[in-house]
Amino acid sequence: MIKELLYILVFPGFLFVSIAGLLAEYVDRKLYARLQNRIGPPWFQPFADIIKLIAKEEVTPCQANPRMFHAAPLFALTAVITAFLYTPLWHTSSPFSFNGDIIMVLYLLTIPTLAFFIGGWYSTSLFARIGSVRAVTQLFAYEVPLFMSILASALLANSWSLVDIVLFYTRHPWYWCFNLIGFFVSLVALLGKLEKTPFDIPEAETEVVAGAFTEYSGKLLAFLRLCIDIEMVSGAALLAAVFFPFGFFQSAFLSFVVFILKILGIIALISLLRTVVARLRIDQMIDFCWKLLVPFALLQILINLVLKGVLR
Amino acid sequence: MNLVKKVVTWARIKSPWILHFNTGACNACDIEIIAALTPRYDIERFGIQLKGTPRHADVLVCSGPVTKQIEDRLIRIYEQMAEPKFVVAVGTCSCSGGVFKDCYNIKGGIDTTIPVSAYIPGCPASPKAIIDGVIKLLVSLDESKASPKTIKEIPVGGE
Repeated sequence: MIKELLYILVFPGFLFVSIAGLLAEYVDRKLYARLQNRIGPPWFQPFADIIKLIAKEEVTPCQANPRMFHAAPLFALTAVITAFLYTPLWHTSSPFSFNGDIIMVLYLLTIPTLAFFIGGWYSTSLFARIGSVRAVTQLFAYEVPLFMSILASALLANSWSLVDIVLFYTRHPWYWCFNLIGFFVSLVALLGKLEKTPFDIPEAETEVVAGAFTEYSGKLLAFLRLCIDIEMVSGAALLAAVFFPFGFFQSAFLSFVVFILKILGIIALISLLRTVVARLRIDQMIDFCWKLLVPFALLQILINLVLKGVLR
Repeated sequence: MNLVKKVVTWARIKSPWILHFNTGACNACDIEIIAALTPRYDIERFGIQLKGTPRHADVLVCSGPVTKQIEDRLIRIYEQMAEPKFVVAVGTCSCSGGVFKDCYNIKGGIDTTIPVSAYIPGCPASPKAIIDGVIKLLVSLDESKASPKTIKEIPVGGE
């Protein structure tokens, strides 16, 4: 009982994943700055931002629905932290693993977007409403290729449990190379989920102020920022577990370090992508997702179906 | 409790998010403010970020004299910001009204409408002066360790 509680609250639960999320934000911002030939923020920057926001006044607009306005950030934060618990970190096992947890993790990672929508909608600001509707419109575009490409990898492993997928790929060392198309598809889809630059249409500050977050301030904004940071770590961890399921050694510490390196690599790819591309319009984004990403995800499924027949 | 206060003050100094508002400037100060935000000066080193909404911002950076038309909007933007909030007046016009003082459509400097924490004179104020002003404001926050009102005494420009 105490072991499970520690697992949820301290490591690798709430405390660890919060710190990891903030450090990931630092890595992302620093890389972004370096790629733009800037010096960039110091390492404690995300921590200072969060502490400052927690200490700030919390303004609730008088027209907003206070219950929904306050609940949305908490829902989002809880969902992303829970999603992290199911990822096998240092060993090919996880205490809460069950058959079908990959589906649950994918749906838990969908909740933040819906929470942003609800929070933005109930804050009754015009900009927040435009931003939240854009967030949901975008959800329908990137979610399908993300699900298809991640589940294609599960299809080859013949299991819907993250631990079993990792075990399968550990038994067949080089099979993960077949999933590279799926990896790139889901990386691009993850950019949409995290609302990073090519797909930052919902919070485009030059168009809709700050999107769904326009009316949020103080603690609630801190929760939302923390939520996006942790979503980045959880999403990168999911991709690392599904697409790079290697490097699990006898020593738990060593495999944990390898896993962290994999997450850092995926975050570096995300910051590289958001540096080199500019923002798309919402119609271009939906075109891109349905006309390019979905066919590639289908190709991945086709490849894995054929391989399943050939390799068995 | 003291430690918590210290940490919060540290965080406030390290992470000022600014909101830029033109209260009727001739755009020269605006161009200099935008220049201060470019990678050339890289103010993200100090944790400064430009935010689109008053709800997220800590420092309101105003440029230009307060025209009669913008007065209500300025007060509204100021009211929308969450405490603790600071106002920086950039340029001679926003410090005192400058060359537009006593015009029929001008109320005067920013401090005729809302309380100002730091004045940055110059016509226009250079990006280095703007960054210096904001950093001085934040450092004074640490030394005084009191209510934001005491900061008003430190930098003086115009008038």
